[in-house]
Amino acid sequence: MNRLESMLLDLKDTSEFMIDLAYSSLLYNNSEIAEEVVFLEKRMDELSGQIQDMTVSLGKENPEEIARFLVILRLQMAIEDIADAAASIADVVLRGLGQHPVIQMSIQESEVTIEMAKVSDDSIMAEKSLGEMRLSTHCGMFVIAIKRNNMYIYGPGKDTIIKAGDTLIARGPEEGADFFLGLAEGSEKEF
Amino acid sequence: MSDFEEHVNLDRIELTVRELLTEMKDISEVVVDLAYASLMYNSQDMAEKVRELEEEIDDLKYAIRIKLLLAARTREDAKQLSGILQVASAADRISEAAGDIVKLLGVPLEKRPFISNMLNESEEKIRMTKIMPPSDMAGNTIEDLAVEACTGVKIIAVRNRHGWVYDPEDDLKLRTGDDIIVRGTQDGFEHLLEFTTGKLPWEFPENDNDEEYARGEDL
Repeated sequence: MNRLESMLLDLKDTSEFMIDLAYSSLLYNNSEIAEEVVFLEKRMDELSGQIQDMTVSLGKENPEEIARFLVILRLQMAIEDIADAAASIADVVLRGLGQHPVIQMSIQESEVTIEMAKVSDDSIMAEKSLGEMRLSTHCGMFVIAIKRNNMYIYGPGKDTIIKAGDTLIARGPEEGADFFLGLAEGSEKEF
Repeated sequence: MSDFEEHVNLDRIELTVRELLTEMKDISEVVVDLAYASLMYNSQDMAEKVRELEEEIDDLKYAIRIKLLLAARTREDAKQLSGILQVASAADRISEAAGDIVKLLGVPLEKRPFISNMLNESEEKIRMTKIMPPSDMAGNTIEDLAVEACTGVKIIAVRNRHGWVYDPEDDLKLRTGDDIIVRGTQDGFEHLLEFTTGKLPWEFPENDNDEEYARGEDL
């Protein structure tokens, strides 16, 4: 992948992550998470600008490839629309308009649910990395944020170590939720 | 009112606001996966499904607007209902973006080779596999298997003897020879392959009734 393509990939992955975060902020009526979505949206704007600049200058240098560059721009715009939609969900929370119970119920009943779980002292997750736990593979739940000592770690990676006392926010199928909650609580001990 | 009724799918009006919003959220999530998958597999058929879902969200959007406008009684009601409207609009915007993505299928394949490369490097990838003869997944529904909870990957399309089914319902039964397109992490996909090839037996989620039955037998 060249630089332009990896920028576009970053844009795509971030847009999807923003949607997950935006629905989480809505579910928990949490303005800190909503602020993170707004922050990411600004980053997306910058990245989009860079992609456009680079595409245009590459297009000038390689006019015979112009159709390819146009595809990149069209994809970039569609992805940016998705990011904007996520930001507009976060905006509902920031304006204090996300408190209608129907919103929370809809998210909880949807195919992709979001769960929040505190890691207890006797949870097998404590002191393990997300990569070791392979939570997504074992129960479908994908950790999108960790709250630790009042600070959030957004989009934790494989090497992020889970600590007792952390609050994990994860998205995934309803059938995986109980197991995830059990692992965090300490009642589930093995896969 | 009659003109207006002709243009709005009235089945949707029967749903509650909660059901409408849930449905819009569900569609907005799967439609993006399908849009990327259509580019990856160069499938017009899948792009058509994306356009159908985009239209469906439009119907849902009008239904939810009408319901919410009727529900507002006070200024405070209206404020909180406006939040619901905004979320519904966001779901609609996402589906429109998916519609824009599938329009790229109109560009000749050689002009967009990087798209598949890019999607292959993505954190959550789109992959295809087949249910092989030894696999015990065959004969079970997606719901029985709880595929996503057991592997972390979500089935977004199935090709069975009747053709392709996109965004399949949970009660769809998988059979030997079916092709499935899934979305998820690489690790999850490799785990899924152990089951689709029959290398590992499926780990069925525990069923409370079965457990009780088993206990009864012990006595």
